[in-house]
This record gives sequence, structure tokens and C-alpha cells, in this order.
Amino acid sequence: MDITGTYTFDAAADAVWTLLMDTSAIAGCVPGCRELRPDGNDRYRAELSVPVAAVTGQFDATIALEDKVQPRSYTLVVQATGRPGFVRGQAAVTLTPDNERTTVQVTAHADVGGAIARVGQRLLEGAARMMMDRFFECLRRKLGD
Amino acid sequence: MYAVDFDYYRAGSLADAQKLLGDHPGAKLLAGGHSLIPLMKLRLAAPPAVVDIGRVAELRGVTLSGAAVRIGALTTHTELAASADLGRAAPALAETAAQLGDPTVRNRGTIGGNIAHADPASDLPTVLVALDARINVVGPSGHRTIDAAKFFTGLMTTSLEENEIVTSIDVPVAQPGRGSAYVKFSHPASRYAVIGAAAAITLSGGTCSSVSVAIGGLVAHARRLPSVERALTDQAPSESVVAKAAAAVAADLGRDVSGDIFASAEYRTAVAPVYVKRALLAAAARASAR
Repeated sequence: MDITGTYTFDAAADAVWTLLMDTSAIAGCVPGCRELRPDGNDRYRAELSVPVAAVTGQFDATIALEDKVQPRSYTLVVQATGRPGFVRGQAAVTLTPDNERTTVQVTAHADVGGAIARVGQRLLEGAARMMMDRFFECLRRKLGD
Repeated sequence: MYAVDFDYYRAGSLADAQKLLGDHPGAKLLAGGHSLIPLMKLRLAAPPAVVDIGRVAELRGVTLSGAAVRIGALTTHTELAASADLGRAAPALAETAAQLGDPTVRNRGTIGGNIAHADPASDLPTVLVALDARINVVGPSGHRTIDAAKFFTGLMTTSLEENEIVTSIDVPVAQPGRGSAYVKFSHPASRYAVIGAAAAITLSGGTCSSVSVAIGGLVAHARRLPSVERALTDQAPSESVVAKAAAAVAADLGRDVSGDIFASAEYRTAVAPVYVKRALLAAAARASAR
């Protein structure tokens, strides 16, 4: 599954980069994130309770930030396993300054397996897109505060 | 598979259901059980409690009252398809109910459960949005009415608040000169809409004085297509004019189309105008026949 998204922030690339690297901001904005704790350099462990309608998926996830080129680009590598199945994905994130604003481009690829993939296949892309949109919308609001 | 253990409560009335929901945090409402129960058996959903409203008589039935047909939330798809009042007032809705899912789903599934579940590939939301239906709900802060177009807000997400219950749906009675239709490209196994398009057109003097068109199946939730509507309003609905208007669907969908293993986003985007065109032409043909 491949998904892409483009999000524009009313801030300079340095400020957006700082936000994207802010553990507490990420923990507050990942949909359903109950806990996010550091696990080595640029690595985190997370407990997620993914909220899509009646489906309540509990996942244990590891998140790693790789190939960091401040404040231009990085790769987000996520592995999550839980009762509904597993998700392995990576997302290339690039920040492009545009006058006073910054455009964040996300290109993600994810492999999904288990019950969610077997019975929820037709909903996966929509669900992934919704979670990504919520995450960046939330970050954008944080920047406005 | 068996569901994770849960507590079961049967509500005897709407007030009873509201109280039970309030008393049991995390409880899910059970109406016909053809969306929630499969999820529970797959253990994708594991609510601690289920409040069964299936026998709440006050939520059932179709009644015609003036300019609208009121459909009780617990009305099954089979009952919708068989309702003579609905067949006259909103034929597109009755027809859609008649060909939704399979006989078991139609006999047990309810319109209220269907829209509260808000599956993006479901048929009824698309038709209700195109027909300007209104959703009546009751919750801890009282009664309110939500336009169908504002009811569906995301993937399996609605504007229902915590512990609000859908009580009925009001569908405007079609006036002379108004026609509506729903066409879909259904998945061959599940019958879910890969693309579903619903249109309602009012003709006066040979031109479309009012155009309402909605799409579902390929986006996160059923939604109107304002560019298509604008392109056809005040035009005579010839095939070429309708085809040109339907092509505007790309502008309305933008990059919001989702794909799956069966049909990619690119494919759905390419095919969408065909189904929008068919829905518009069918609605226009009916409008001119009324």
C-alpha cells in the first residue's frame, strides 16, 4: 500500500523540523497514542490504541527516525504488531521552504498483514490516509498555538 | 470466531437505551447486527457491553407526513424496499435498499445502523446525501437534526456525539418534475460499491433547475459533487452536456480517492465520471417522465 500526502505549515522549515522531532508533540498527535518512550537514539516504543469506528486495535509499535538531514528530510520507519495484525511501513518526509511557509511531503509505503489485512483490505488505504491527515492537522494546530 | 466476552443489555424503549448507554461506558448499540457482530466475531471490535435496541418499536416503520417521509432508524432494508410510500416519494432510495448486500443483510440490517456505521462503500449514505435527507438523533443533550451531507464526516466517522442515537431519517417527497437515481459499480463478491453515484434532478421547461449529485465508495465518506452540480444547473440534460458536467467530478474529488487491492485509486478516478453520468442521465429521464 502506497500513500502520499502534502501538508503546508505557516512556519519556517526550522520550526517545522523542531516540531516534527518533538517527542511530546508526536505523542500528542499520533491518533490513539497512549504512550511514547525513547528507546535509544532516534528510536521510540509506542502503545497505540487505533480508533477507526467500532474497530479498536491495540498495537505495540517501534518508531525510528532515519537518514535525518536537518531541516530537509528524514525517513520514518514504523513497525506495529497487535491482535488485529501487523503493519510495517516507512515514510519519506521532505520539507520544502516556500517563502514564510513550509510544505511537508510524505511518501509512505506500508505492508499490512493479519486479520485487518484479510477482512479490512478495502478500508486500509482510507484508514491510513485518515490517520496521517489527523496527525499533521494536529501538528499544524500545535504550531498555531 | 467467537466474540470476546461482553455484557448484553436489551433496551425496551428509547429512553431505556439512552440510560443503558450512559450507565455502561464503551457500550455499543446493536440494531440489526450485520455490521457490528461480524467485527466482534473477528475480534476487531471488542466492546465491553452491547445495548440491543432491536425491539424498540418506536424506532421502526415508514410514515408519510406532508413534504417528507420519515423512516424509523430500525427499518430494515427489506422494509424500505417494500414501502409503497417510499417508492413514490423517493424511488431511488427504495430501489437502492432492494439491491443492497444479500437477502440476509436486507432482512436484518437497518438504515439507522447502516448510517451510524458509515462504511465508505455502503450505498444508502450516498443516496441520502443526494436526496438532501435529514438525520434525527437524540442524545444526552436532547434532540437535534443533522443534514445528511454533514452527518458523514470521515471514514466510518459521523457527526454523532458520544451516546447519541439515530432515531429517524426524513427524506423529502419528490415533487413533479423531480427524478432521482442511484447507480453503482459493485464489487462482484461483497456487492459493496466500488463506485456509487446518486443524482436528483428537477426539470423545469426542459432545463435542470436543481441538480444534486453525490458519490461514495471511492472516498472516505459519501459527499456532494458541487462542481458537477454547477456545471449542469440551468442546462438541458442532453447526453453531451451531462457527460461534460460529469467530467467535473475530478475537480471535486481531487486527491481524496482511495484504492484497494481490487481497484486502484487511479482506476476509480478514471471510472467515476462514467457512473456520475449514468446517474445524472437516469435521474433526468425520470424527471422528464414525472
